[in-house]
Amino acid sequence: MSALASLRTMRRPAWLGPFVALLVVYTIFAIITPEHSFLRSQIFLTMARQSVVLAICALGMTLVIVTGGIDLSTGSLVALTTVVVAKMLKGGSSPVVAVATAVAVATAVGAFVGVCVGRFRLMPFVVTLGTMAVLRGSAIGLASEQKIDCDPRGLDHLLEASLSAPGIWIALALAALVAIVLGYTRFGRHVFAVGSNEAAARLCGIDAGRVKILVYAISSLLAGIAGVMEFSTLTVGDPTDSVGLELDVIAAVVIGGAPLAGGEGSVLGSVFGALLIIVIRTGAVHMGMPSWVQYIVTGVIIFVAVAVDSARRRRTRS
Amino acid sequence: MKMRALGAVVTFSILGGLLLGCPKDSSKPAPGTDGEGGAAPSNGRIKIAVIPKGTTHEFWKSVHAGAVKASREVDVDIVWKGPLKEDDLKAQVDVVSTFVAQGVSGIVLAPLNDTALRAPVKQAAQAKIPVVVFDSDLQGDDHVSFVATDNVAAGKLAGDHVSKLLNDKGNVVVLRYQEGSASTQNREKGFLDAVKAKPGLKVVSDNQYGGATTESAFAKGESLLLAQKAETGAVNGIFTPNESTTFGMLLALRKSNMHKKMKFVGFDASDKLVGALKEGDVDGLVVQNPFNMGYLAVKTMADHLRGKKVDKRIDTGARLVTKDNLEDPAVKEVMQPDLKKWLGE
Repeated sequence: MSALASLRTMRRPAWLGPFVALLVVYTIFAIITPEHSFLRSQIFLTMARQSVVLAICALGMTLVIVTGGIDLSTGSLVALTTVVVAKMLKGGSSPVVAVATAVAVATAVGAFVGVCVGRFRLMPFVVTLGTMAVLRGSAIGLASEQKIDCDPRGLDHLLEASLSAPGIWIALALAALVAIVLGYTRFGRHVFAVGSNEAAARLCGIDAGRVKILVYAISSLLAGIAGVMEFSTLTVGDPTDSVGLELDVIAAVVIGGAPLAGGEGSVLGSVFGALLIIVIRTGAVHMGMPSWVQYIVTGVIIFVAVAVDSARRRRTRS
Repeated sequence: MKMRALGAVVTFSILGGLLLGCPKDSSKPAPGTDGEGGAAPSNGRIKIAVIPKGTTHEFWKSVHAGAVKASREVDVDIVWKGPLKEDDLKAQVDVVSTFVAQGVSGIVLAPLNDTALRAPVKQAAQAKIPVVVFDSDLQGDDHVSFVATDNVAAGKLAGDHVSKLLNDKGNVVVLRYQEGSASTQNREKGFLDAVKAKPGLKVVSDNQYGGATTESAFAKGESLLLAQKAETGAVNGIFTPNESTTFGMLLALRKSNMHKKMKFVGFDASDKLVGALKEGDVDGLVVQNPFNMGYLAVKTMADHLRGKKVDKRIDTGARLVTKDNLEDPAVKEVMQPDLKKWLGE
């Protein structure tokens, strides 16, 4: 508690900016949508459901970005996970086995990326750029270039726009877990240390390589869980799913107040960033907004978020 | 503190400007909304969400134009909203569920997948929002009507034309599109049914698949022509069931210098294919009618919402285009509908 208090006296929490932005954008939409349909309770649940995949991916991406890294393979990994789950279910596996296998595959991919980045000191951008292509190709090949149709065997009820569906609660629990790990454990402090000054962290005896391997493995594990949620929505394995998802995820984390340089980041901020993106998307549908306007609005918000954040940073430094 | 307040003000004003600008733009029919459909005040008007598979392809622009025409004729508002990225299944699922949560009067949907869209459509049915499916079929029984080309009839159109061109005798080849693609399988079936009805026509190959791309269809077409010894005149007629196989086969025929030596009827139209039709390298193209599809889909939904009985299956028609009828006004209307008039572009 005292740590939190001292943080507060230092400066306002990083998540406050994205939270204010979220409120402002939501209020604008609530006012201008026809018949105030934005205020219906079903809208909240639908937006919560739609945020789950993006938010879970953003949790992992926050860890990665705090270490000063980046992961471009998230979208491909989510698609691969839907394909693995669908393929296993079609082959007669039980849902539990299918989910466990898919998440294990995702985690293994993350560990591999982590080893490349942490031990062989390769650039995360390049490693994950390659991984992105390899995973996308694997997903399409594994699915024989088409969507895999299978009986979802209850997995379709994992994530629904309802408070009784476990998906939304799982996402919240994961967010709390990652926030605690990052904020209150030794591993979390090591992640920040590696991100803000890797050489100093190494001198202090932190195994930076090990930290990175763990971070990428956790991030991909979370992407795997997000992929299971994605399958729950799609009910088919779709190898062309989530192209470019990683960019939305990175946007969510950046809006959430994490600079790409590393060393800073807030799980809560990233979750608000993800919610903000979904609110814009939902509002765009309500307004019947053409896709190009939607792209521009999202882009402008990223600009503004980063500008405000860097202003805040300058102020606290001076 | 000051910076934060400033930031919020900046965010608010930029966003407000962009968002408020949108309905203003669409008061003349701009892409995205028809009339004031997107931001109509509460006045009890029927509001129909129209969800295509994508928004940038010519095909969907024609569908949009038809939908706008219907909305003006039957006096309803439509909201035209496709997935942000072309052909993005997840995005389409999200768009449908958002419209359900918003509570529109009805949803007109071209599903990207016949199983994945079942759940959101069921959700709509539970919320008492009727759904009309168009272009591609959806499994299940939760939708009011299915408005699309009757592909078997369209395939038969091609089959009859090939028979006529060959005077009911000769050897015929079909280069199929892809396993598991229902629309093209029905076209192939319609074609084969028509051809097999003529005893003088013999189907020498109908088990080869061109695959998803023009490149794969080109390669398959080339080896198919070689395997059937087409250069000796052993093949007289060819049918391909979609744009990519038609274009691939055209390239294969041209490369092996066998174009014009056999009768070739394809499906769908593009600028290149129409050019080949004019040059006589293609002897006929069966085209769908996307404008009519958009028109009938919205009209059917409006009829249903106003309590009229609608058919479970509505055919939007296909048409055979040849070099001779290319200039007919009726054909021109299908090939190049007046998008400007309806979309104001």
